[in-house]
Amino acid sequence: MNLSAPDFGHEVRFGMDTIANMGVFRVRKMDRVNVSTRREDGQEPRFESHERTYEPRVSPSSANSNKAIAAVPRWVDDRLTLAKGGKTFLNKIFPDHWSFMLGEISLYSFIILLATGVYLTFFFVPSGHMVLYHGPYKPLWGQHVSEAYMSTVNLSLDTRFGLLMRQMHHWAADIFIAAAVVHMCRVFFTGAFRRPREINWMIGLTLMLLAIVNGFLGYSIPDDLVSGTGLRIAFSIFESIPIVGNWLGYAVFGGPYPGNGDVIFRFYIAHVLILPLLILGLIGAHMGMMVYQKHTQFPGPGRTNKNVVGAPMFPTFMAKTTGYFFVIVGVIALMGALFQINPIWLYGQYIPYKVSYAVQPDWYMGWLDGALRIMPSWELHLPGHMIPNVFFPAVLFPGLTFNILYAWPFIERKFSKAPDIEHHLLDRPRDNPKRTGLGVGVLTFYFMLFGASSTDVLANMFHVSLNTVLWFFRFAVFIVPVIVGFAAFQLAHEMKEGPQDLGKRKRHNIVVRSAQGGYSTIPVEGRPGDGHGEPEPEVLNPEVLHPEVLHPEVLGEPLHADLPL
Amino acid sequence: MSDPRYADRTSRPKTVERTIAVCFTVSLLSTVGFAATYWQTGPDMLLGVFFAMIFLGMGVGVIAWGKYLMPQGPFVEERHPLTTTEEDKQEFAEAFGRGADSIKRRKLLGKLFVAVNGVFAIALIIPLRSLLGAKTPGSELYHTNFGKGTRLVTVNGEPVTLAALDVGGAQTVFPEGYVGSATGQTILIRPQTTPLVTKPGRETWSPAGYLAFSKVCTHAGCPVGLYLQEFKELLCPCHQSVFDVSTGATQVFGPAPRPLPQLPLAVNSQGYLVSQHDYDEPIGPGFWSRGALWNGHNS
Amino acid sequence: MKKAIIPILIVVGVVLFGSAGAFAFNVTQLPPSQSTPGESFTYPSLSLSSSSITQGKVLFDENCASCHGVEANGATGLAPPLLGVGPATIDFWVSTGRMPLEQSAIQPNVHPDRFTRSQTLDIVKYVSSLDARAGPPIPVVNTKRGNLAQGANIFALNCAGCHVITGVGDALADSTFAPSLALANPTLIGEAVRTGPGNMPIFDTTQITPAQLNSLARYVTYLTKRPQDAGGAGLGHVGPVAEGFVALFFGVGILMLVAYWIGDRTPDPRIEEHNE
Repeated sequence: MNLSAPDFGHEVRFGMDTIANMGVFRVRKMDRVNVSTRREDGQEPRFESHERTYEPRVSPSSANSNKAIAAVPRWVDDRLTLAKGGKTFLNKIFPDHWSFMLGEISLYSFIILLATGVYLTFFFVPSGHMVLYHGPYKPLWGQHVSEAYMSTVNLSLDTRFGLLMRQMHHWAADIFIAAAVVHMCRVFFTGAFRRPREINWMIGLTLMLLAIVNGFLGYSIPDDLVSGTGLRIAFSIFESIPIVGNWLGYAVFGGPYPGNGDVIFRFYIAHVLILPLLILGLIGAHMGMMVYQKHTQFPGPGRTNKNVVGAPMFPTFMAKTTGYFFVIVGVIALMGALFQINPIWLYGQYIPYKVSYAVQPDWYMGWLDGALRIMPSWELHLPGHMIPNVFFPAVLFPGLTFNILYAWPFIERKFSKAPDIEHHLLDRPRDNPKRTGLGVGVLTFYFMLFGASSTDVLANMFHVSLNTVLWFFRFAVFIVPVIVGFAAFQLAHEMKEGPQDLGKRKRHNIVVRSAQGGYSTIPVEGRPGDGHGEPEPEVLNPEVLHPEVLHPEVLGEPLHADLPL
Repeated sequence: MSDPRYADRTSRPKTVERTIAVCFTVSLLSTVGFAATYWQTGPDMLLGVFFAMIFLGMGVGVIAWGKYLMPQGPFVEERHPLTTTEEDKQEFAEAFGRGADSIKRRKLLGKLFVAVNGVFAIALIIPLRSLLGAKTPGSELYHTNFGKGTRLVTVNGEPVTLAALDVGGAQTVFPEGYVGSATGQTILIRPQTTPLVTKPGRETWSPAGYLAFSKVCTHAGCPVGLYLQEFKELLCPCHQSVFDVSTGATQVFGPAPRPLPQLPLAVNSQGYLVSQHDYDEPIGPGFWSRGALWNGHNS
Repeated sequence: MKKAIIPILIVVGVVLFGSAGAFAFNVTQLPPSQSTPGESFTYPSLSLSSSSITQGKVLFDENCASCHGVEANGATGLAPPLLGVGPATIDFWVSTGRMPLEQSAIQPNVHPDRFTRSQTLDIVKYVSSLDARAGPPIPVVNTKRGNLAQGANIFALNCAGCHVITGVGDALADSTFAPSLALANPTLIGEAVRTGPGNMPIFDTTQITPAQLNSLARYVTYLTKRPQDAGGAGLGHVGPVAEGFVALFFGVGILMLVAYWIGDRTPDPRIEEHNE
């Protein structure tokens, strides 16, 4: 691609490579070179301002087709009087920032989970009843296995599409929770949990909790050797709860471990009915509240605490989100097709006295398993009673974790000096170095615990002593987060204090050589999204504005009050 | 100039359009490939890849459409404040007070009503009691099926003799009649040929060097199936607790808080290995009342 | 617009690459219904009759005697006596290349064979001839007579605890490792079972009968040489840890990149606009 310089009498051509190789200017490939506004008298280039007038959008030629299209909503409205709500809905604004798409990964993974899960229920037999295996996998021939296990093996190896569905289901579960964590990080680091969204933060946490529990239930019901060992640990964790522990364990398992075999069916019905219903309901509440309270947004030109700037629901966002749904299905299907997950036929049936090494739970339980592993060998003895070792890392610790997370919006409120107003403009992570540093530290802590859940695998992989690895994690779990958290704090702090355009997307420049041989650069005209010369936003849904009930004490003065556009 | 808020967000709409068309075509072709693979009973993995490509082609195309060929705005929507007028608040409070008053005035009824609700909750819990099955937590938490003279049997139900293991061997055994028992599972090892006194008071527990320990980890209950014969250590596969066999399976590493209980062994008149009595203490991980009901040996 | 095309090309490329990968997988992987793997395994000659004691002595003196002594009676704190340990033990350590010891470590590493099969057997024959006590002989393992299901059962009960249910091995306490069984052949499996090298327990013929050993060797061969990875790449067979990393960094990673493509960044309010 060649750039042609404005008319200076000569034409000077540069190959794109030549310019890039000059290394001095950051030049990006340009889509259009518009230097026509450059004045002939050679003064500074002049760019068009926003106060330009635009041609009408609907050209006469397309008026007829528009009329036909408009008949559809009209017909609907004549019957259901949906015009008002429909208009608001189609005009709903979604901020453009990419980080707002992260929650959608979770949402769409959940839809995949429902779809693939329903498929699996057609083949899975939720029964702990022991039968003689018959099926395609030779090493199991004649072994005593539970119907749950046998049906899972057979739906994997003997049912077309069955294994793909099962693997998609499992990958989707892993991704569902992973994306929820990433989404939660976005909400945390940008302060989106602040008033008025505290309730939605708590709903989100509940969703996370239910998803983790439901993931564990689903992991357990195939009754294979690896998950069965997890069930054994789960029973011990129930048992460790003071006073009611044994009763709880017996109630879940139907008697002393391993119970009367009912646990498979109980977990199954909770996994496919009870928890999905709760999750579905809470997702509805989560999203309903988001629609009602509207999105948060990052500060920027024209973005205030009193508005939302972005693209409308229809058609732009609808297209993007639908496409994203398809891509998520595609990626998960690709993973289901190419990467084997949980090959239970290799693991065999769970028998209480059989065990495999390298047994781990799925990744979202890893932090608990890591906590169990690095816990020192203590337990608390009271007169006639005791609190077992596992109570501390597996009951107390997650309990504290979730309670602190639930209370976080209120904790931060208590220590924050910011006014108690509605916050619709987000902090960038650098804007609040303390929160950022703390959050990164805590996240590192849990990530280190996740690492500690695979001490044996790591020791084997790097060929170091298992004991060394465990001792490393016993200290690193506490030391590394402090270092990383402090580094994050420092980084955020310095970015906040540093040059204003730190981390800013660069503006494209054109390098021009004049006829005399000198070089100069010209910034190109801005495009929507890169923050330069953004057009003035068009107001949609204007009637929701009720000036008579505007409470400035609640909405406050915007942090970045209407900047000049 | 046309309104840039509705303009394509690209200077090459034709190229983008063509690319999207390619994506959709990939999707369509994948559908054909998918059907063909299914029809020809091709491998499931290929089915999955075509399945994925149907969605990926469609998804990428639709996203590109939305991103480059649809109005990007910016558009703005005003936010309605999440508060109500003082009047509304007043009326809401009044409506609530109306009911609260009439409840407050009948103190006795109010208290009874609360009591009834409490009892009702208990009534809801009682049916859940059936979940426990036939057993309530009891003696099985404290005892196994090993008793005086119970023979040790292998997983096949064969009783174990003194010839069962070479030095350095290990085997899972059960109390006779309870093969596969989750609580009775025991690991039988033989570190040497002469009696090995692991702790004072256990002088007679290891005939011919045979030692038996509960296979249920005292940490989280996993089967301690890993015997390191050179180190004479048992290792738990779940959380890597290490138990030193020669000192009575005391925990030397990892989170396990207590030694594995040792089963006192003897040889009966037929030459079979038997237990002298049950384990000295409840096996497995701890629980709230572990120390409460336990009183000495089980015969 | 160039910018639009690049991500599309990337995604399409990934898709095509993925499908190519699937074909590749498909080619390298036999459908499960075809002949059971492990049945047609050829194992090394076990015959000691043709081996030469004199040749063995030369090799022993050159490679082993410096630690184990010329008489093979060991050196305290350095090397154990080899008298009476039996052919199976010698064969296991020498043929896996764990001996001669390369460097002092808690657990010797496996090395590619330094000796030919016949040289190894020469050493075995020489050392065995030094003592009248007969240790375990080199077991004759015939996987064709084994039963896969029986082998799987024995493996899960006795072996999976250390070597992992998929046979990939794992780290044990104090710098010891349960090795991966990928390199094991039926004879080695038999020798390891009978002699308990290192920290491995010993399983004698009452615990695992010769017939059961055939089954076990057949199953291990099946498991390690041709695991039935019907679901795609096996991810090292180490279970949920590897799966978790794939889900987090591959799955969510790709989806986040797509989100980054779909969305935008918000302009910085504090940048002065360049308008005039």
